[in-house]
Amino acid sequence: MTRDDILIQVKRVLAELFEIDSARVTPEASLYADLEIDSIDAVDLIDHIRRIIGKKVSGEDFRSVKTVGDLISVIERLTAQ
Amino acid sequence: MARQPLSYLWRLAATGLSFLLFGLFGLLLGLIVLPLLRLVPLAPDLRRRRSAQLVGFAFRCFVGFMRAAGCLTYEFQGRERLGRPGQLIIANHPSLIDVVFLIGFTPCAGCVVKTAMWRNPFTRGVASAAGYVRNQPTDAMIEGAAAALREGQSLIMFPEGTRTTPGRPLEFHRGAASVAVRAARILTPVYISVEPLTLTKGQPWYRIPPRRPHFSLTVGDDMDISAFLANNSLPKAGRALNEFLIRRFSAFQTYNS
Repeated sequence: MTRDDILIQVKRVLAELFEIDSARVTPEASLYADLEIDSIDAVDLIDHIRRIIGKKVSGEDFRSVKTVGDLISVIERLTAQ
Repeated sequence: MARQPLSYLWRLAATGLSFLLFGLFGLLLGLIVLPLLRLVPLAPDLRRRRSAQLVGFAFRCFVGFMRAAGCLTYEFQGRERLGRPGQLIIANHPSLIDVVFLIGFTPCAGCVVKTAMWRNPFTRGVASAAGYVRNQPTDAMIEGAAAALREGQSLIMFPEGTRTTPGRPLEFHRGAASVAVRAARILTPVYISVEPLTLTKGQPWYRIPPRRPHFSLTVGDDMDISAFLANNSLPKAGRALNEFLIRRFSAFQTYNS
């Protein structure tokens, strides 16, 4: 999967889980400051990603994620393994 | 200082003694009794239940002592509906000793408590033996609380996260609602009021009110979680439930004031 493919998936998931408008989901957008995803949302988001990827994913993998771009990088790494 | 009536001074002394006893028993349980219980060969789950029962008993004694000594009066309506398997108990938190009432009167209760309890020597032993869930970090709290409920524990949460600030609109962290939609089999509110207000946040124990405080705890009807989950993602359901809880508890507070 390319980064663009992953971005499309991320847009879909954020719309589905949190009703976030896809136009706001850019690689530069901060999950917390721009998209208002807090620590509790993050738990649900990671759960969802875990189900989609179908691999054992730990919260630790996402500790350093700040922006949508960071999230894409982590997903890219996890799916490549 | 103005002359205080004898009854006030008595309550002051008895309240001080209560807190001293609470600290001493906390140490006794945490440093001696519960570690001894660890030596008894029991399955971990059974050991947690026994520890939680012991803590509940100690807390009931503490409440009983405070009432007998004239520090407070209380009524606890519907408490026989607390302690069912997989039950999440959600309460407001006006006063320091709400948690003592709830843990004391919920059989084998688990509780989500501040991580700071593990750093306090008076509470550390109790918190860890009774299997309480730390409130931080959030992801570990949600997973720990959900696991406790799925195991069939009854779990107490205070969604305000800390004691109520009197006079401010109620604020609930979404953590409790999020745990509820994930894993609670039963969701039960407990509405607490204290009149006159005492032991609020930042108030030292010796700032006792002019009259003996009355604690009123009312177990509300179970709430239907499935209605929030229908056609909703977990985060949306959690948000909606949280709004609903805030409305319910705010209505209760308005009704009481």
